[in-house]
Amino acid sequence: MVDVADTPAVAVAADSAWRVRLGRFRELGVSIFSNPTTVAGLILIVLMLSIAAFAPLITEPNTPDPYQMPRDWSAISVPPGSPGHPLGTTNVGGDVFYGIVWGARTSLRLSVIVVSITVVVGVTIGSIAGFRGGRVDEVLMRIVDVFLSIPELIFALAIAAVLGPSFRNIVLALAVVFWVKYARIMRAQVIHVKENEYVDAARVIGDSKLRIYFKDVLPNSITPVITQATLDMGNIVLVGATLAFIGLAEAGLAEWGILVSEGQAGISAGRWWASTFPGLMVFLWALAFNLFGDGLRDVLDPRTETSR
Amino acid sequence: MQIRAYITRRLLVLPLLIVGTSIIVFTLTRVGGSPIGIYLSHEMSPDEVAELEARYHLDDPLPVQYYYWASGVVRGDLGWSGVAAAPVTEVFAQKLAATMELAVSAAIVAVILGISLGTFAGARRDRLPDHVTRIFAISGAAMPLFWFAILLLIVFWVYLGWFPIGRSDPDVWASISHPTGLYTVDSLLNLNFVAFRDALWHLFLPAMALGYGATAIIARMMRSSLVEEEQEDYVDAARAKGLPERLVLRRHARRNALIPTVTVIGLSFGFLLQGSVVAEIIFRWPGLGRWMADAVLRGDQATIMAYVMFTAILFLLVNLAVDVIYAYLDRRVVLGK
Repeated sequence: MVDVADTPAVAVAADSAWRVRLGRFRELGVSIFSNPTTVAGLILIVLMLSIAAFAPLITEPNTPDPYQMPRDWSAISVPPGSPGHPLGTTNVGGDVFYGIVWGARTSLRLSVIVVSITVVVGVTIGSIAGFRGGRVDEVLMRIVDVFLSIPELIFALAIAAVLGPSFRNIVLALAVVFWVKYARIMRAQVIHVKENEYVDAARVIGDSKLRIYFKDVLPNSITPVITQATLDMGNIVLVGATLAFIGLAEAGLAEWGILVSEGQAGISAGRWWASTFPGLMVFLWALAFNLFGDGLRDVLDPRTETSR
Repeated sequence: MQIRAYITRRLLVLPLLIVGTSIIVFTLTRVGGSPIGIYLSHEMSPDEVAELEARYHLDDPLPVQYYYWASGVVRGDLGWSGVAAAPVTEVFAQKLAATMELAVSAAIVAVILGISLGTFAGARRDRLPDHVTRIFAISGAAMPLFWFAILLLIVFWVYLGWFPIGRSDPDVWASISHPTGLYTVDSLLNLNFVAFRDALWHLFLPAMALGYGATAIIARMMRSSLVEEEQEDYVDAARAKGLPERLVLRRHARRNALIPTVTVIGLSFGFLLQGSVVAEIIFRWPGLGRWMADAVLRGDQATIMAYVMFTAILFLLVNLAVDVIYAYLDRRVVLGK
């Protein structure tokens, strides 16, 4: 028996399918780069990631742990422009510039870890619910409803509080809270996609359920998840920094929220810098991913786009 | 009637959702171990600690502990707040008004500003005001409240000295009676305009800070739904019969554009609730949010549990109300789909 995939007609079809995909990819690039705010977001993202990547080249890493703030006890609360401290220091002698640079790495670690965990968990649960349907779907979605009934920050705050103040626990708390959206999005997508004829076709030629899922359903359902993940790269740093600001990370960590909190005490004495610069970084980080994610959504799922 | 059936069903599901939420939150807040720490002092012997654990049923399995917590709630007993050194229900009653006053003010700011900005931008689509509003709205979604609030304080409190910090001038506060606990309302009930001015003066910055994020969400939704409505046939018809553009906007397009905006108002209320924790810390506002922040840092689980459940119930109710209003406003909606 001849394997169907070896016949010339199928090979040609596969080849042109690739060409179509490549063409679509090019189109995607063009439409992303034609929107100035999306490009602005992309530039900001590159800037932020460069700071995180080149942190050791920008400032001398603190030993033994570069994620800990170096303390200069001879220069407490000095203003920006002081020798050795271009952006000033906090009330405990932490160099604001160092905190900004290494804080970018902390933020990158936080967002990448949390987004990876939540996407995997959310996509898995959403896929199971959407693909299986019935009782399983019902139970999983009621759990999702419960998670959605508490505002994100408050839920994360409660969990992080119980686990105790540390960066690792902020990661855990955010992971517990943020998977829900992906489960919802993925379930809706899967239910929609599995009605397509190509899925029926795959079933008719005898593909296994797992194969159908990975070959047909998953690739065709994933784009809104990608958009959400891009937005969450920003949101997670926003919420994470808020938890750290409230006091749920280890003091002394090079993290933007902690620095804003340290700087807060000095503002009534006119020491504005220790809060202002690190807070600006949180804003720019979240703005970058929001701008880019927004543009991505306009391009990837035209259905949800309402602005035009 | 369809709407009535829908509301009844939603109301029936509501208690289940609340119980489900309480079970999940209770379980998650116990994974970190026993909440006994907040009730202990240094002088206690191990025997005394064990006795305390037994008294609060903390040595029982989790479902039993949940049973005791839930039966307490039914009796109106939310436990003892270690942070406030008082029963949770008592402290709640004291602090609720302060938080509500702040959140409602911020909501008023957000609804008025958001709808006007959105209308303004939508009516001037793809022109400068539209772009400015878009930037304002995207910035709102990315704005860390804890930073924005501090910036406002640096400018308007430290440098300009225009606005104070805190909730009230203590002398003025003491000069009036407080039947409702809402400072603005109480000052009006007392017919004391010095106090009313004091209340608004203290409320201004925190309400602005807290309202910004929600303003951005509402403005954005209003703008895009207005743009969408403007392309509908009925708008063309209104123009064709010679109605001035201003009236086309006010009588027709804006009215319909408000319908989808109502749904995000509910959503942004969650934003306001969680933001109040941060705003209260920074503006030294003596409300539930600051109490929660203290509770979080000191592991006061009775308070955490009560606060999370309070927010969840409020959030659920607001969203239910929004869905019902939406259903009344837009009869095209097929409920429950």
